[in-house]
Amino acid sequence: MSTEDGVEGESGGSATDDASSTPAEATLSLRNAGFAFGQVTVLENATLDLETGSLTALVGPNGSGKTTVLELLAGLRSPNSGSVSRPDGTARSVAYLPQTPQFRSGFTARETLAFYMDLVGDDRSPTELLDRVGLEGATDRRVEALSGGMTRLLGLAQALVGDPPVVVLDEPTSGLDPDVADHIFATVEGIARDGRTVVIASHDLAAIEETADRVVTLVDGEFVLDGAPADVLESTGAPTLRAAFSDAVRDAERAAVQLEAPPAGGESS
Amino acid sequence: MSAVDRVFVVVDRELRTLVRNRALLVVAAAFFAVIVGLGALSRDAAGGYVSLTYDLLLVVEVLVPTIAFAFVFRSIRGDDERGELDVIRTYPISRLEYVLGVFLGRALGLLVLVLAAFGVAGALASGSGGAPQTFLATHDAGDTVLVFVRFVLLVAIYALVVAALALAVSAATRTNRGALAAAVGGVVVIAIGLDLALLTLVSSDVIGGNAIALFEGLSPASAFRGLVFELALGPALAAEPGDGMASPLVCSISLLGWLALGLGMATVAVWQESA
Repeated sequence: MSTEDGVEGESGGSATDDASSTPAEATLSLRNAGFAFGQVTVLENATLDLETGSLTALVGPNGSGKTTVLELLAGLRSPNSGSVSRPDGTARSVAYLPQTPQFRSGFTARETLAFYMDLVGDDRSPTELLDRVGLEGATDRRVEALSGGMTRLLGLAQALVGDPPVVVLDEPTSGLDPDVADHIFATVEGIARDGRTVVIASHDLAAIEETADRVVTLVDGEFVLDGAPADVLESTGAPTLRAAFSDAVRDAERAAVQLEAPPAGGESS
Repeated sequence: MSAVDRVFVVVDRELRTLVRNRALLVVAAAFFAVIVGLGALSRDAAGGYVSLTYDLLLVVEVLVPTIAFAFVFRSIRGDDERGELDVIRTYPISRLEYVLGVFLGRALGLLVLVLAAFGVAGALASGSGGAPQTFLATHDAGDTVLVFVRFVLLVAIYALVVAALALAVSAATRTNRGALAAAVGGVVVIAIGLDLALLTLVSSDVIGGNAIALFEGLSPASAFRGLVFELALGPALAAEPGDGMASPLVCSISLLGWLALGLGMATVAVWQESA
């Protein structure tokens, strides 16, 4: 089962409300999706299928619209055209962690998590989820006393509440020291290996190369580079994912400039 | 989990937030001290509960909106600012359930404060030396504790109405500065602005005397004041029905309408449902 939101585009949003599919098989999909803020196009006729149990990294230059794509996938925005389908069959189908998560002050990590667990009727102990992300030592610490890395980990624990099949994370390691970032990437990889569809936006290309099953590059509203990190390196001939990313962005920008430039000898027309 | 369960999960979170917010506790203590202080000052004054109600009426019209906005305006805005609103949206809770939970939690805390403050003020006033009522009340028998109880109940309703409007401000604003400006503006408009507008319309003969009762419903403060005069003070003063300028029906509908408007606006503005 899947839920779908969006607008039927010209090519038709392919309904994936298929009774034969199960949460375990479900995928997260964008179908011919378009989205714009006024005149600024973020996504144009984009299609993306994400498999269960995979960790997909969404990369792109600053301002390329990664957060908007994640919000579309998480159901926080609806596409202007096309459709988004998400797995159904659980109380909470998609978890979302914003870029710089914060929590209401005055509450401990355990109480914060308990609130979210109560919302979805998750009967597990908050401690179990805090242990899962490595926050067992901060269970009774107030959220305002948590470090930036610990707050992200609390956010990750929150993302596991209700056992959602899809987890969407917006730059969970930005601004963190390398050790904490490594721990978060390892935790996120573990969450994907549990059988969830995990999508993560990040600029940490080295960690992505190491942990992600798939990397998708968003430039000028299009997914221009898409594949397993090893396949991307092989197809582009770049020595690192960072180099492949830089080449892809440069090529896309060059193509955009050529499109905008007047044709040769076209001044008289 | 049922919808009611989810609402009460949010109510519980809001109540815990209130009791753990030191700044808010200080504001609440100041409100409590002012109201109780006025009750104590009325202790030896002549006039009993009618006098106390008159003494508190103007103060209530300004202080209750202030304390209601202080209790409520950061609630949804704060969740949005921290990114928790986006997180909450991924849980199986509807806009209405979330807004109702926030409102009930904050309103419950507000009601406890208002009822406690006015209860103590009333108790202090009731312990007065029994100075004879020589003015206002035409019948001593009319000046019973019921006058004050009715007044306090109307204050509680007024507080709920302003809390609903504050919640709409909290949900509709997108920045802290905007929320603060809207909160201050809301207090001024509710406590003074709409009354002044009504007064201007009356003094310039735009509104005739017969229509004043109807137009009083445009302002929550004047509707509240009208109900206090008609339902709390009127019986004590042995006024005949219709003697006053306010229509209890219009005022009641007005307050209910403002309450529904506030909650409705908050529900629509809190987030957009995905198509």
